[in-house]
Amino acid sequence: MKPVRDLLGRVRARLLRDRALTWVANGAAAGAVLALAVEVAYRRWPLDPGWPALAACGAVGLVVAVAGWVFAWPSLPEVARVADARLGGRERLTTALQFATEGGWLYARQREDAAVFALDADLSALGPLSPPVKVLALAAVAAAAALVLALVPNAALQQLRQHRVEAAAQAQAADQVQQLVQQLGKGQPGADPARQQALTKELQKAATAARQAPDAQSAVAALSQAQASIRQLQDPTQGQKQDAAAGAGQQLAQNPDAAKAGQALASQDLRGASGELSKLAQNLPNLSAQQQQQLAQSLAQAAGAAGGDQKLQSALQQASQALQQGNVQAAQQALQAAAQEEQAAGAEDQFQGDVNQAVNGLQQAKQPLENAASGQQQGQSGQAGQQGQQGQQGQQPGQGQQGQQGQGQQGQAQGQGQGQGQGAGQGAGQGQGQGQGQGQGQGQGGTGSGGGSGGGTTKPAASNDKVYVTGQAQDTGGGQNQGSQPGVQNDLVPYQQVLADYRASALSQVDRADIPQQEQQLVQQYFSGLGQ
Amino acid sequence: MEPERFQELALAIEQELAKLIVGQRELVRSVLIALVAGGHVLLEGQPGLGKTVLVRSLADVLELGFARVQFTPDLMPADVTGTNIVTEDDAGRRRFEFQPGPLFTNLLLADEINRATPKTQSALLEAMQERQVTVGDRTRPLPRPFFVLATQNPIELEGTYPLPEAQLDRFLFKLLVPFPGPDDLAEIARRTTGVAEAELRPVAAGDDLSAMSTLAREVPVAEPVMQRAVRILLATHPERPEAPDDVRRYVRWGASPRGLQTLVLAGRIRALLEGRFNLALEDVEAVAAPALRHRIFLNFEADAAGVDTDRVVASVIEVSRGK
Repeated sequence: MKPVRDLLGRVRARLLRDRALTWVANGAAAGAVLALAVEVAYRRWPLDPGWPALAACGAVGLVVAVAGWVFAWPSLPEVARVADARLGGRERLTTALQFATEGGWLYARQREDAAVFALDADLSALGPLSPPVKVLALAAVAAAAALVLALVPNAALQQLRQHRVEAAAQAQAADQVQQLVQQLGKGQPGADPARQQALTKELQKAATAARQAPDAQSAVAALSQAQASIRQLQDPTQGQKQDAAAGAGQQLAQNPDAAKAGQALASQDLRGASGELSKLAQNLPNLSAQQQQQLAQSLAQAAGAAGGDQKLQSALQQASQALQQGNVQAAQQALQAAAQEEQAAGAEDQFQGDVNQAVNGLQQAKQPLENAASGQQQGQSGQAGQQGQQGQQGQQPGQGQQGQQGQGQQGQAQGQGQGQGQGAGQGAGQGQGQGQGQGQGQGQGGTGSGGGSGGGTTKPAASNDKVYVTGQAQDTGGGQNQGSQPGVQNDLVPYQQVLADYRASALSQVDRADIPQQEQQLVQQYFSGLGQ
Repeated sequence: MEPERFQELALAIEQELAKLIVGQRELVRSVLIALVAGGHVLLEGQPGLGKTVLVRSLADVLELGFARVQFTPDLMPADVTGTNIVTEDDAGRRRFEFQPGPLFTNLLLADEINRATPKTQSALLEAMQERQVTVGDRTRPLPRPFFVLATQNPIELEGTYPLPEAQLDRFLFKLLVPFPGPDDLAEIARRTTGVAEAELRPVAAGDDLSAMSTLAREVPVAEPVMQRAVRILLATHPERPEAPDDVRRYVRWGASPRGLQTLVLAGRIRALLEGRFNLALEDVEAVAAPALRHRIFLNFEADAAGVDTDRVVASVIEVSRGK
């Protein structure tokens, strides 16, 4: 039986080589087809990063190859059958192997016959190794197709990445707003608790909305809405009151007895001024008649300069008249009333500072969202929709909207804008406008325009003012493209698309530069005219 | 008996028969296989192809008793089996004495068996199966070995009684006697029209056949070969999933388990004749047609389409190979 077993061993080695080749091809085909399926699936359900799944496909192919080869390991009876079939053994080997231990002289003769055959067997009859050409061709085609799909830009993957960027930006913006809530939630002494609570509630709502918004553009809209709501807490007469206090302070500062109170008022230290006015009221009985008359004159002049704050003006006027009439007690009461008024003005001033800080904080929180949204817009440039929005400093916040459409698809866009003032004073403005554009057909587009107006106040900067960021035009343009093919390149670019780009760029430039308001309006009107 | 002796005897028988039988090597070998297997053979061929000569020559070569019965419609069972007749001894007493029929021989040629009535056919076929004859109230065994070689004429079928399927199954082989080729015909003419006649000498006896049969039954059969034989048999049944289209369409009934027994036993003998000591797939395939062609029963559609059982057997073999 040794020659038989030797022959079977050699045939088995040859079979293993054959099957290794077969299963390597099968594994390669399985991996390639799987990779192709993954790449096709990525077009609809993208994964980022996608290489782990592709690596898994390779691993699956390897497992298929190795497992298939191992499971196809030929047993000796199988080897004997194959050897009999290919070498012409006429089942000599199979029979000898099966009855290797069988007694009886005929069995022994049969084993001898099989051994003689094994000694003379020619393994070249097995033929050369033949690779499975069809399977290898399938593997090559599938791998090539998968490679092509991997290299072709994947719109779904780009959307996924943009969505992640926007989600991160939303989280960052929400965190910023939340920090603002914690910072402003402590409140200021003397401030109205209800208004303070309204401010905090509005910020918390903005943080939640920014975090839960479906996209960055919606988050920007939510923050802008919060800004608008918070601006309603602003006192439009705050500047006049501060001017009145400053004017009155300058007049009082000329009187030696009221100089401290006057200096405090002039420097907008309203709480200090309140204390000095209270001290002045207490010190009135100690003043001589001449000093009282001089103080009465100063108070009268101060009352004249405090026209912007009627309560302060009235209290100073009453104090002046009481001193002129020698009624010190009435003058004390009037000065105490002025002190209380400045105490309240100081608290209001602090609250307005918080409001402005909240508005500015929201504006800063919008920045990463706008960057993320602009990234989406850049990624979709040349496609269907564009949206632009302009907000202008203190005077003319506005909103423009433009929709474009290409390749027979429909596009729609919407935007909002908001700006805030700078310079020696402060300003705030708000406006809204809407426009829509819609078009159909290749190369056709729709245009829309919108405008808005707003008002703002200015006041001289004071040393204890809070720091405000430089006002800048905001561009929260975002576009959506549904249905059109990305990357469609044409030599002819739709007119509306070029116009929208030029318009956004020009408005951004004139907003950044120190250009007079009227000139900025001219630029806006020019592009609005072109759009129509 | 040694395998070499087996081959030697077989070769001697074939060579001796070749003195009278021109060509027909496959036919002679198949008849020899059937004799060693102890089975009966149904020969089918046109008249004048040497069927009778073959059987008679076999009897001469094997030193066996020989009898021939020409089956006709008026042949009675007693004409075949024998009967009791009244005899008178020297004392003048009369008594019944059994007069054996032609069945009581070693080698019986049943010529044109399909011309006898079913009653007579049944008497013969019962003796073939039981190897004994019952006449009156007494059963008498037939001599050993006992072989029947029956012939059928495929033409002139008017007035014949085709053998029932169950009785056909009792034949080990059904052999078709082919018409000789041009060279063989010329040789036949030379041998039979000259002065000299070939004389056959006995080269084996009945005991040799028995020993050869015993040896053949010891040939080992590997499991894959046995499974192939089983697949071949099952594939002749139209209701089996492995049956080929020809079987599903044209076959009414498939082969019985006797078909499988024949495949294996005849294959073993063929292996020894080929000088091997194991049953091979090619042995099974080689004996498949003579072993199965009379065990597969076709339907009317097959008759209409001109499909015969040999085509069905070929389809079955093809399917059993897994192709």
